[in-house]
Amino acid sequence: MNMQETKSASMNQPTPNELSPCRRDFLGQAASGFGAIALAWLLAEEAGAAAPGDKLPPSPYAPKRPHFPARAKRAIHIFAAGGVSHVDTFDYKPELAKQQGKPLEGKGKIDPFFGQPGNLMPSPFAFARHGECGAWASDLLPNIAGCVDDICFIHSMQAKSSNHTPATFQMNSGFTFNGFPCLGSWLSYGLGSENQDLPAFVVLPDPRELPAGGATNWSSGFLPATHQGTALKTTGDPVLDLYTPRELSQASRRASMELLARMNREYVDANHGDSTLAARVQSYELAARMQASVPEVIDFSQETEATCRLYGLDNKESEGFGRNCLLARRLLERGVRFVQLFNGGKFGQPRINWDGHENVETNHRTQAATMDRPVAGLLRDLKDRGLLDDTLVIWSSEFGRTPFTQGLNAKGRDHHQLVFTSWLAGGGVKPGFSYGASDEVGYHVAEDPVTIYDFHATILHLLGLDHTRLTFYHNGIQRRLTDVHGQVIHGLLA
Amino acid sequence: MILLRTSLIALACAVFSVDRLCAVEEAVLTEQVANVFERKCLRCHGQGKQEAKLSLATRGSALTGGENGPVIAPGKPDESLLMEMISGEKPSMPSEGDPLSAEEVNVIRAWIVQGAPWPANRTLTVKAAADENWWSLQPIRQPSVPSVHSDFVRTAIDAFVLQKLTEKGLQPAPPADKLTLIRRVTFDLVGLPPAPAEIDAFLDDASSDAYGKLVDRLLDSADYGERWARHWLDVVRFSESQGFEYDRIREHAWRYRDYVIEAFNRDKPYADFVREQIAGDVLAPITRDGITATSFLVIGPWDEAGYRAQKSVIMKSRLREEELEDTIGTVAQTFLGLTVNCARCHDHKFDPISQRDYYRLKAALAGVQFSGENRSILTPDEARQRESRVAKLQKQVDTRDAELMALERTGRQEVARQRSSGTVSRESTSEGPKPYAQWTFDVDGRDIQGNLHGTLEGGATVSGGRLKLAGKARLKTGPLTKAIREKTLEAWVSLANLTQRGGGVVSIEMGDGRTFDGIVFGELEEKKWIAGSNNFARTSRVSGARESTGPDALVHIAISYAGDGTIAIYRNGQPYAPAYRPPGTVGELQDYQAGEARVLLGQRHTGGGNAYLSGEIEEARLYDRALTAEEIADSYRSSPTTISREAIVAALTDEQRQRHGVLLAEVKQYRELLEAIEPAPLAYALVPGNPEPTFLLARGDVEQAGEQLSSGALAAIREPASEFGLPLDASDADRRRKLADWLASPDNPLTARVLVNRVWHYHFGRGLVGSPNDFGYNGERPSHPELLDWLAARFIAEGGSIKRLHRLIVGSGVYRQASHFQPAAAAIDADNRLLWRFAPRRLESEAIHDAMLAASDKLDPLRGGASFRPTADEVVHPQITRPRASDGDGRERRSIYRLVINSAKDPIQDALDCPDPSVKTPRRSVTTTPLQALSLMNNPFVLRMARSLADRLHREAGDDVEAQVRLGYRLAFGRLPTRIETDRSLALAREHGLENLCWVLFNASEFLYVQ
Repeated sequence: MNMQETKSASMNQPTPNELSPCRRDFLGQAASGFGAIALAWLLAEEAGAAAPGDKLPPSPYAPKRPHFPARAKRAIHIFAAGGVSHVDTFDYKPELAKQQGKPLEGKGKIDPFFGQPGNLMPSPFAFARHGECGAWASDLLPNIAGCVDDICFIHSMQAKSSNHTPATFQMNSGFTFNGFPCLGSWLSYGLGSENQDLPAFVVLPDPRELPAGGATNWSSGFLPATHQGTALKTTGDPVLDLYTPRELSQASRRASMELLARMNREYVDANHGDSTLAARVQSYELAARMQASVPEVIDFSQETEATCRLYGLDNKESEGFGRNCLLARRLLERGVRFVQLFNGGKFGQPRINWDGHENVETNHRTQAATMDRPVAGLLRDLKDRGLLDDTLVIWSSEFGRTPFTQGLNAKGRDHHQLVFTSWLAGGGVKPGFSYGASDEVGYHVAEDPVTIYDFHATILHLLGLDHTRLTFYHNGIQRRLTDVHGQVIHGLLA
Repeated sequence: MILLRTSLIALACAVFSVDRLCAVEEAVLTEQVANVFERKCLRCHGQGKQEAKLSLATRGSALTGGENGPVIAPGKPDESLLMEMISGEKPSMPSEGDPLSAEEVNVIRAWIVQGAPWPANRTLTVKAAADENWWSLQPIRQPSVPSVHSDFVRTAIDAFVLQKLTEKGLQPAPPADKLTLIRRVTFDLVGLPPAPAEIDAFLDDASSDAYGKLVDRLLDSADYGERWARHWLDVVRFSESQGFEYDRIREHAWRYRDYVIEAFNRDKPYADFVREQIAGDVLAPITRDGITATSFLVIGPWDEAGYRAQKSVIMKSRLREEELEDTIGTVAQTFLGLTVNCARCHDHKFDPISQRDYYRLKAALAGVQFSGENRSILTPDEARQRESRVAKLQKQVDTRDAELMALERTGRQEVARQRSSGTVSRESTSEGPKPYAQWTFDVDGRDIQGNLHGTLEGGATVSGGRLKLAGKARLKTGPLTKAIREKTLEAWVSLANLTQRGGGVVSIEMGDGRTFDGIVFGELEEKKWIAGSNNFARTSRVSGARESTGPDALVHIAISYAGDGTIAIYRNGQPYAPAYRPPGTVGELQDYQAGEARVLLGQRHTGGGNAYLSGEIEEARLYDRALTAEEIADSYRSSPTTISREAIVAALTDEQRQRHGVLLAEVKQYRELLEAIEPAPLAYALVPGNPEPTFLLARGDVEQAGEQLSSGALAAIREPASEFGLPLDASDADRRRKLADWLASPDNPLTARVLVNRVWHYHFGRGLVGSPNDFGYNGERPSHPELLDWLAARFIAEGGSIKRLHRLIVGSGVYRQASHFQPAAAAIDADNRLLWRFAPRRLESEAIHDAMLAASDKLDPLRGGASFRPTADEVVHPQITRPRASDGDGRERRSIYRLVINSAKDPIQDALDCPDPSVKTPRRSVTTTPLQALSLMNNPFVLRMARSLADRLHREAGDDVEAQVRLGYRLAFGRLPTRIETDRSLALAREHGLENLCWVLFNASEFLYVQ
């Protein structure tokens, strides 16, 4: 996929005021809806043709029972890439203003990523209490601040690495190394999906660019390929190879599909004892249904203008990510198990993520403009539709940022893994609640540390899965998302 | 019965009536029970985890029982809940792993009968489920071949298999027909479909060894290595990119892929194959193969950002532990089928592998260092020859250069003398390349060419015609007056010391002080010159020599930046390292804006640490274009003054001038000879470092170092000895040689077993041990342990010839049987572990890809060499920038030659279960998903192949549609269509075109499966 094309294409489109925000949907092109549906019918008609004794295997995304009743049926992870500063967003530290310009002392060896600890710097953003719960939030994210009564903050998160990619891998897969299945793959493996016509695990990368490591971030690792994340693209085929090529007539494709279906069924009849052969027949039927389902889900024409505005589609900065948030809701509504959204692309200059080394104020302002309204809109919309009750919303970065500047007389902050903030909302978590705390300057955990293992164990728990029982044998080990660690954080469960 | 046994033991004690004997027996019994508890029960019912609140760790807790009350009633086994849990048809405990053996159950029963004796102070602790008596650790036996008589038995393999089948009352399937067989064995051995002519030849060959000849032909074909190397690459997680954040492409990693292909094709003895991959660079005689093979040790993921950008020391050492765990895991799983990596933080929970074993193995591999570096694969002899030739020619150049310089010095003095002032005045109108800016320090930091004057800062001074730099001294110019893109940076510099790191000589930087390009000393590597840049975006490691010129003399350094992004570094007028083009968008030539960008002398860039140079700059220049090598050589010779060469030459005597001309011509000639010497071939292979000391790390924590350990192997294996007898400070070479010998020893019980099982796995779709990377407790038990040993023993006896192993296996009756389904057999052995048929299976993603190319006659026969790259239309990766490629630039080669990139997998291969390159994959999963169907339906490659097949059918079968259909069936399925199939196909082809039929053939299960 080529995300850069998206950017240039959208620049040529009418400005937001010229057109209703909903009208500019994902595709300029119409999908081959009719032919695909007709085909699905055709294949379904004779799908039972497998010989007796050859049980048709369940659909690859067939729903599976959780280990125990789940508080959330589906989940969405908004991953704000690059390291969102906790002390500039949700973890208010007035002490930083008092100690402004002083070096941080008495906290053990100060060992930041770039090795240039500066002096303590107060947040350039104004903090205030919000909602009935009175949670502190800065004016950086005013719309999300308006949702704090639905949010359960965790102010005592700890990651293993202060290096982006290992930390991102850990947040995604529990391990700091390449090659482990990510959360979405584990959920697909453990729970399947409620909708057989869409992939169980969908990824919506930042419309600007892929995150560092690209598709490695949604790899199924050693889990079967069925469980890898499917990245929806915003140009061309939304799902790779989804559409019948334009140069092929519908009639030809239909005739070919008829012959293929017949041949493949005959092959099933001639070769008993292999259920994957019957599954192949079925997979073409599922493919045909997907050809119809995907265009429907990405078509926003039935969304009201109010909804589209809610997600910030009327604003140039928030439009791209807002679309992804709205699309995420539509996917979840249709039974997709897990949607992962990236807010932020790869590293380097110019910054298109939250990596505010040079100037945390300007960097975070720019990023916040893309994320604030869409995420708040998503929370409100899920709530209005009654979906928030059994949908788990996860917001996290890979780590936080140092309470001191990177280098002396500087305005940026370095990576900080020793404590940072994540939040959950929706199914099964206490709304308007804060769990754990950092110390007076946001450098160490002060209360109730939460490791990424604990975080994952809790997420799985909310989805009805025991993290010690969700296992897959690989090279000698019954592998888990949580390795051999992790405790469910009962204190934040509703 | 139970009563009887109880009384028997009582009787035994009564009969012998010797208390001591009973006491001994009791102690033995207690030890046996303790052993069972420690290995099989305590993991869940110990002092750590106490499932059902039960702990069997101490006498007290064991007799108290758990939440279901007491579990042991001393003297009364039948009233003991424990016995109920562990015995019976399907015992409920242990909840994981194998049930206890009958012997183990009896031991516990007898112990309870005796009153469950338990010394008061004895506390049990969890032990690995398997001990050193574990089956796979025992020496390989030479089992005798069962004597069974049947037409089925063609080889000893069949006797072993038939014996097991007969025991279960099962029969093998009848022999497969010849057509099925040739398609099966061809895909299996070479990964391609049999051509129609090959099928005909085999079907027509009625001789008794027709099949043997077929197998020989396939094994002799170079296609064979391309097929089987791919299997090996799965196991060793071969990847041509780093993984992690940068995921940089390893341009020379393909040599390892070619090494593996060649090893299979030449049937390299397996022991050599093993040894080379561990220590080929240090095993005599050192060969190109041996050096290349060590790629194995560094082919896994590597976090370059963690090494380069990250400054936190503790994080770096953790990273090192992680990467070595992955390497150790790969070594042990690949060759031993053991998950030694599990013992990094604690003793292995299931296998007899201690943490100590892990760290001894780590010590053996402590010289394994990752880097982005490539190395020459020339053998020491070849390297010496090459060096001596280079040195000889270089000397010719150097002596002439020296003479030229002397002549020109004379000329220069003569010019100076002739000038009325009697002093050397600088010319700004030389005939040579004109700099955009030039700083000569005659007076101060002024630019004698234009207005890019510099200010002296941080204590920089100008004296004796030089810019003197120490501490944080620098010269900073005002903003550029025109934008600079293409450029050359040049300086004559003397270094105050050679140990300094990261100082800049001449840099051009953006106004923000971050983006820059410059001449930098000793930053990436000690004493080396590099083209420095922000985050090394345009920097490459260089092969040039480490600087040896100290403060007494000037060094001339120039770096040219060409319009296409190529960067070339020169030292004293000679290329310092091969020119290179940095990858990706960040590697492109930078625009330095007028009014913003500036030049720095003595500092790398203003926005970074440790950036200052100590030394003196005689002269510095900035050109607004990339000078050629010749211009730079001229500049080196004629300067650092700026009297033009023409003026100098004009001042020479006739004789001198003539000599000057001769020398110039000769230098040019020798340079050309030098340039004609081919660069040493490079491979991404191990560049070993000095092993750091290895400590046993408590809980795997780098901050909890314990005892220092020397290198060694696994203590649970008795032969070969796991003790290497090396001192703590042994060299990397000694350590790896010992490890290589230990792994490749014919006495090693695992190496041969694991290999023959892998080969079996690929032939039958499942190994005799179903977990090819895990011969430990958590792995599968062998379905045919005697057969496994027989094969392993024979493999060793035959010198580790994999081709002979193939011949044996594919020649067996088991392999040659049909794939017919037998419901009755399936009812007894649903997974076909006893091999009552040949299990049909779907082709791997690569075989599907290659089969489409072969069937449509598009397969590019080019073997080996650099991989073909995907295009930016197919994948997203910063180094893949070409939008699309036409056919015919290698993209229709076999898929083993496609560049393997961690973050940019081939979508269609991905959908067809090609594994993640960073995952050690001994056994691929086979999934069937709608996304896979969509790929096969609509992927441009499939559609292109369908069109190509249609073209071929037109070409080879003429205009008769029926003939086209028949050929299409032959090419795709190996057989002719039936009448009905022909009619249906004709209908489709006539109405909708032949390529639609070809598309159907490529999507058909019959195409994708082998029977």
